[in-house]
Amino acid sequence: MGLADHFPALIIVVMFISAFLSPLLYRWAEKVSSYFVTASLLTAFVFSVALLVQVQQSGPVLYYMGGWPPPWGIELRADPLRVYILIVVISVSLWIFLYALRDLKHELKKTVIGWYYSLYSILVGSMAGIALTNDLFNLFVLMEICAISACAIISIKEDRECLEASFKYLILSAMGTGCFLLGVAMLYMATGYLNYSFIQVELAEAIIHYPLNIFTAAALFIAAFGTKAALFPLHVWLPDAHASAPTPSSAMLSGLVIKIYAFALFLMFYQVFPKTMLDTIPLNEIILWMAALGTMFGSIYAMIQTDLKKMLAYSSIGQISYIFMGIGFHHDLALVGGFYHIMVHAVTKALLFMTAGVIIYSTGVRKISDLAGIGRVLPLAMLAFTIGSASMIGIPGTGGLISKWYLALSALEIGRPFFVLVILASSLLNAIYYMPIVINAFMHQEDFQHDVRTVPLFMQVSLLVGMVFIIISGFFSRPVVSLLEQAASLLF
Amino acid sequence: MEVVVLDNATVIAIIICIVAFPILMTPVILYSCRFSEKLRNGLSLVVSAVTFLLTLSLYPFVIGGGIVQYTLFEVLPNLEVSLRLDILSFCLAALASFVWFLCTVYSIDYMAKEHACSRYYPVLIFTLGSCQGIFFAGDLFSLFVFFELMSLIAYILVIHEETEEALKAGYKYLVMTIIGGLALFFGLIIIFELGGTVSLGVGVIIQESSLLALLAFICFLIGFGMKAGMFPLHVWLPDAHPVAPSPASALLSGIMLKTGAYGLLRVIFNVFSPELLKSSGWDIILGVLAVITILLGSAVALTQTDIKRRLAYSSISQLGYVLLGFSILNNNAITGAIFHIFSHAFMKSILFLAAGAIIWKTGKRNIADLKGIGRQMPITMGCFSIAALAMIGIPPLNGFLSKWTLALGALDANLVIYVLVLLISSLLNALYYLPIIIPAFFEMPGETNHEDHDHHEIHFNIEEATPRMLSVMVVLALCTFIFGLTPNNIVFALSRLTAAFLLLGGNL
Repeated sequence: MGLADHFPALIIVVMFISAFLSPLLYRWAEKVSSYFVTASLLTAFVFSVALLVQVQQSGPVLYYMGGWPPPWGIELRADPLRVYILIVVISVSLWIFLYALRDLKHELKKTVIGWYYSLYSILVGSMAGIALTNDLFNLFVLMEICAISACAIISIKEDRECLEASFKYLILSAMGTGCFLLGVAMLYMATGYLNYSFIQVELAEAIIHYPLNIFTAAALFIAAFGTKAALFPLHVWLPDAHASAPTPSSAMLSGLVIKIYAFALFLMFYQVFPKTMLDTIPLNEIILWMAALGTMFGSIYAMIQTDLKKMLAYSSIGQISYIFMGIGFHHDLALVGGFYHIMVHAVTKALLFMTAGVIIYSTGVRKISDLAGIGRVLPLAMLAFTIGSASMIGIPGTGGLISKWYLALSALEIGRPFFVLVILASSLLNAIYYMPIVINAFMHQEDFQHDVRTVPLFMQVSLLVGMVFIIISGFFSRPVVSLLEQAASLLF
Repeated sequence: MEVVVLDNATVIAIIICIVAFPILMTPVILYSCRFSEKLRNGLSLVVSAVTFLLTLSLYPFVIGGGIVQYTLFEVLPNLEVSLRLDILSFCLAALASFVWFLCTVYSIDYMAKEHACSRYYPVLIFTLGSCQGIFFAGDLFSLFVFFELMSLIAYILVIHEETEEALKAGYKYLVMTIIGGLALFFGLIIIFELGGTVSLGVGVIIQESSLLALLAFICFLIGFGMKAGMFPLHVWLPDAHPVAPSPASALLSGIMLKTGAYGLLRVIFNVFSPELLKSSGWDIILGVLAVITILLGSAVALTQTDIKRRLAYSSISQLGYVLLGFSILNNNAITGAIFHIFSHAFMKSILFLAAGAIIWKTGKRNIADLKGIGRQMPITMGCFSIAALAMIGIPPLNGFLSKWTLALGALDANLVIYVLVLLISSLLNALYYLPIIIPAFFEMPGETNHEDHDHHEIHFNIEEATPRMLSVMVVLALCTFIFGLTPNNIVFALSRLTAAFLLLGGNL
């Protein structure tokens, strides 16, 4: 077996190696440590692109950890959808890390930065694992790793607010994991397997004998992943956690971590539960309504915030609901829209948090009302914020429109124009809280009286990358969309 | 005379230039602000002139019956960015770039007193590019993209003064624009779902009426009607148009309103079909709204004391005529509506520019203060009077010709009531325009205090606007006159051709 056969495992392993070595390296040579993490992320990125090529050429890749075949061994599975998520996770992490290199020095104590690198690598590794694994218990372990490292990159700032927020997150996240474990136990009891594919086959039979067990498991899964992905009304932990964390952590958490759980729930629906089950129980319907409420309430809560990062955090609740809507419509076009939104929102929200970070770094301003006139001193950052807002609203020419287009189209396709109205109304709400910030920033230019630090080149470049990507995703969405369409056609 | 007819590839290149050139020049103009004001003004002028000339160069191709439909690239399957040139797009694009050029000329003197010109000019030129983009869009999606782009960028023109009032009006404008945009998006997606395409080049997309199709029609009516100031979505217009700087008001009222009308035309003729509208009775929705718009706009204009606000309400009522023409849907009515798009662009630009000149020179905005202004600024007020008379519909000005044709259309369709509406509205127009122009010439400022003053002594005390501003107004005034004198003028001929073209199917 050559190197190419081990890509699925290597991606995760590379990140974990990076997690072990980076704090050690940091003690000797800070620079080398950051280069090392960057190099690991790059390697993982190259591997995942290579994996995509493999999957495109020869269909889904199955990988047995340690050579043990399922159902006993752990299986990794790379199909187009999973690899797509993998690439989004790794490339966005790489981009955020480049930004973090400068930002962390400002936000954290020098001694903990090495640990931050380590936690960051673990987080990326665990997310890659969640995307790839085909085994429920392995998923459970990775979810725990992911949750703990996510908590740690919040609390690493060690101020009162962060500790409180991460504690809240930890408790709710643990409850979520608990629910998940119970659900897994139910399924294991009914089928005797932990591997997704085996369970799916077995469940088609077992559902007749143990309907209650399996329905309970489904309910537990919705509660578990709903909590972790901040599906309304299980979102209570998110605003505090995402707003108080250091900027790169906020970008990671809002941009990627919540989405990976949404994806995991999707995998439960389509690769664990049998197809007949979705037709008989309105699981999708539940998700759909929760998501519809989420798009509204997330935006409404965001409107009344005075802190910029908190507003962005609430906006994430609205945006993750679009992704859940994509799952809830139970239609291939919706899936394209929802999954396209995973990418678009990952980039957009990370960009917005970065902008907030740049503003805080450069001027120390956090309150929305103090941002009036900031466009004069930080033109690039505010331009980035403008483009990010445009994508959130779904203005043509940005990626946000493409996802909304597909979602709306599928709502019509399944004959429920009501949800098109929900999508449009939530876009309007987004506009109502994003637009005034943009406008105020460019008006009242004499009002802004804070001291300004120059923004490091690295940060500026990161912002630029994000902006360019949002525009590109708005005009040249074909390659990604066709990949997603191909993936969706395998499922429906 | 030999007419050089361009081949398709050249035409496509020219169209791309018309749209892309102003947009690409925007950063250049923005950058040039750093060096000198002269350079900036010169560049803006050149860009708008070049755009106008390029648009004109398409004339022989269009008049020869040429149509171009060309896909640039696909955004999504069956959802492309494409461009289209037919006689309708040509008419609107030529009109827009012409008025734009004149307003840019006017801006140079007018804006010299204003702040933040380094923001004004790039935005002005960028809006030109996106406006041309609307007219040359080959499918509803590109149309929507450019429509949103123009509307959002025009926000900067609306709030240029940055006063409390302007920001408030701007916010209203922005919220309405976004609501309109979302409605358009909804309509667009329904059309895509029903017809599988949104291209304007495939003929009629929606063949039969259904609930969803009606929903789409209403969405388009909201989206484009909002822009065109249609009742009940006109609420943003009387706030937003007056607070902008006058050349921008002229463009907002004269040209950008028309993009809404243009969008509706495209929807009526290229997405649905006149037959469908008539058979399903949707034209009545448009007709009723148009009548309310006409009467309401005029009635409210009567109560306004600020001159620019009165003009803005008048715009609402005038666009009502255009919508009325659309709802009647026969040859004369459509000709009248399209001709009125031209007429109103000329008339309203003059009115706003003249009002702007008065405000610029004297600072007076209140109509009661404008007594005797005609003796101080005779040319400005003369142009204003010509335009106002045209608005009322006095022959031989172009407003008369459009109303005449519209009335003929209404009679052809046996809708005598519409003729009555037109007459009442003309009367109302007279009621609110004449009290501006008569005192302007025949009364003295502060009249009541000087009872022994000889009223009939002509006492000029000339303090005119600059020659550049005057020449713009005079050119436009000449247009109202020339294009109204006889029906044998080029604009009327174009309107006639366009109407015939649209009614014959819209895509030959």
